[in-house]
Amino acid sequence: MITIKHLSHEFEIGKKGSKSIIPVLKDVSLEVKKGEIVTIVGRSGSGKSTLLNLVSGFIRPKKGEISINGVQTSTLNESKFADFRIEHLGFIFQSFQLIPSMTAYQNVELPLILKGVKESERRKRTAEILELVGLLDYQDHYPGELSGGQQQRVSIARALIVNPPIILADEPTGSLDSDTEDDLLKFIKKLNEELGITFLIITHDEKVARIGHRTIELRDGRVLEEVYGYEA
Amino acid sequence: MKLKDQFRFVQQNMKKNKTRLFMTILATAMSVAFLIVLASVGFGLHKSIVKETLERRIVTEIEVPGKEIESGGFSVLTDKDITFFEKIEDVKAVTRRKNLQDYSFEVDTHQTYAQAVVANMPAEIAAGLELAAGRLPEKGNEILVGYHFVENLRPAAENGEEVYDEQGNIKEEFRFKEDLIGKKVTMNVLKLEEGKELTESLELTIVGIRKQPTKEWVYDPLVFVSEDVLKKVEAFTGTPRGMMKDSNNADTDPLSIPADQYDHVKIYANDMESVKAITTELEANNYPSYSVINELKDVNVMFTIVKAGLIFIGTIAILIASIGIYNTMTMAVTERAPDIGIMKAIGANPGTIKKIFLLESSYIGLIGAAIGTIVAYAISFIVNFGLPLIIKQAFGEEPPEGLMFSHIPLSLPVISFVICYFVTILSGLRPAQRATKVDVLQAMRREV
Repeated sequence: MITIKHLSHEFEIGKKGSKSIIPVLKDVSLEVKKGEIVTIVGRSGSGKSTLLNLVSGFIRPKKGEISINGVQTSTLNESKFADFRIEHLGFIFQSFQLIPSMTAYQNVELPLILKGVKESERRKRTAEILELVGLLDYQDHYPGELSGGQQQRVSIARALIVNPPIILADEPTGSLDSDTEDDLLKFIKKLNEELGITFLIITHDEKVARIGHRTIELRDGRVLEEVYGYEA
Repeated sequence: MKLKDQFRFVQQNMKKNKTRLFMTILATAMSVAFLIVLASVGFGLHKSIVKETLERRIVTEIEVPGKEIESGGFSVLTDKDITFFEKIEDVKAVTRRKNLQDYSFEVDTHQTYAQAVVANMPAEIAAGLELAAGRLPEKGNEILVGYHFVENLRPAAENGEEVYDEQGNIKEEFRFKEDLIGKKVTMNVLKLEEGKELTESLELTIVGIRKQPTKEWVYDPLVFVSEDVLKKVEAFTGTPRGMMKDSNNADTDPLSIPADQYDHVKIYANDMESVKAITTELEANNYPSYSVINELKDVNVMFTIVKAGLIFIGTIAILIASIGIYNTMTMAVTERAPDIGIMKAIGANPGTIKKIFLLESSYIGLIGAAIGTIVAYAISFIVNFGLPLIIKQAFGEEPPEGLMFSHIPLSLPVISFVICYFVTILSGLRPAQRATKVDVLQAMRREV
């Protein structure tokens, strides 16, 4: 499903003349299979967020290959990656990343609008997803009027609305309290088991890491070890 | 993303900073109104002049004053030239007139002075001559008079001052009130002989009256006489066209004029479109010509330049307003960077984002243009209504009748919309491109 081969990345910092290069990922290779939940753990600066951003296409790799669903995404231009992203990837962010001027309904509907789906179909699908995440009654609320957990559910609903085969999550429970975190993790597992959605989750939280079928630890930009069946 | 959704997005976004949006639209509307009102002055004056020109002349009429000759100067037109004119394609008629002098005409107890003219009646009829009463002359002593001939008839015995009113018109009670048709007229022809004035009276009969000219200001007191009358006049005076010899130098013969020469030749085209081809043909054969169409061509060229200049000045105003649009759009991109980042993260195509921002800037431009156009129409109406009153009050003078200070043809708002749309797209282009370059990670890191 996701294949990463010899992926290396580095950041340039400083101004012209005094630039320095910071290597972040060094020859990382890994594979995420269909239907798997893979969690990536590591200390701050280990390169886990960079890895997720590279897979998401938010930054382009310096070296190596990334292939998702058989498509070499590392060679796609920005426009083609955008089209690919909306078809194949869903995102859950630590700070939810909802548009504050839009209601829960409008935030969830947004990917369908961007895809050019008909309004009648959008209405039906958005209601279904909001029902699934238990927020149908809150559809007219703005993000500022929802709790952290509810906002993250909206964020998940938005990720699910286009039926993506893969969801990439960056610290999905980072802004949630313990009880809400548990609910969310259960929900992720439910989505994985019932809908077969593949999850690639970046976390530094051990509880989150445990829901993965596999956990990969990164240290200093390299894959340190893989732990199988941590929870499963 | 569907266009309808893009519009919905734009409308939602525009609601976010209503004051800024209002000011930007206001600036655009003012600049568009300025452009339209400014150019409308050019259009108004152009229309007034064209109207004035067309009212005074017949558009299919071509005046030919003579023929250019190799040695320089002009030769007077003769039957040979007339034959040539009649053969030109799309020529409907060629009227030719020989002008005699002003003579005294007596009808019963009334008299008047009027110019006598010899005309080719079939050509005059073909050119559009119509009668108000009577028929065309058939015999040598029959004449046709102009519509206003009767208005100038005054009692011969009355004192001049009593006959005329304050406006210089003959008072009602002194006017000739009988039917002119069939009336005998005495045409008094004068000549000088040994310092004395001798008169020959020719007995003529009025058989027809020309129709009232369609233009109110045209005055037609002419008397159309036959070639026979001309011959009698020339035989009596011994001069061509009955010209008077110089009383101080009676021995000098006036310039001799051959019998087939014409003083006034006009060509009438079948339609307005043929005028250009006919004048080209005339020019190619050394006949300078004058027509209202040619005159209008020059007027149109001049006013096209003037109007283009005014539109250009107006466009500068729109360009200034576009700075406001550029600023508004740049601010909008900066403020909405987090939203743009989120949209890009979930799969918005950069092209779609660019389109949304271009749509927004063009939306501002078009709303501004629409408001500006309405305002411009209102100003134009006020100017046309109010300025003549102001001029009258301030300077005590009536502006020329029918003068249009401001005219907004449909083409002007269309031009303004196109210019405004083009300029707003241009001013929104860079901010829209900036929006596509928003870095997803940086944008999402900001506090929303």
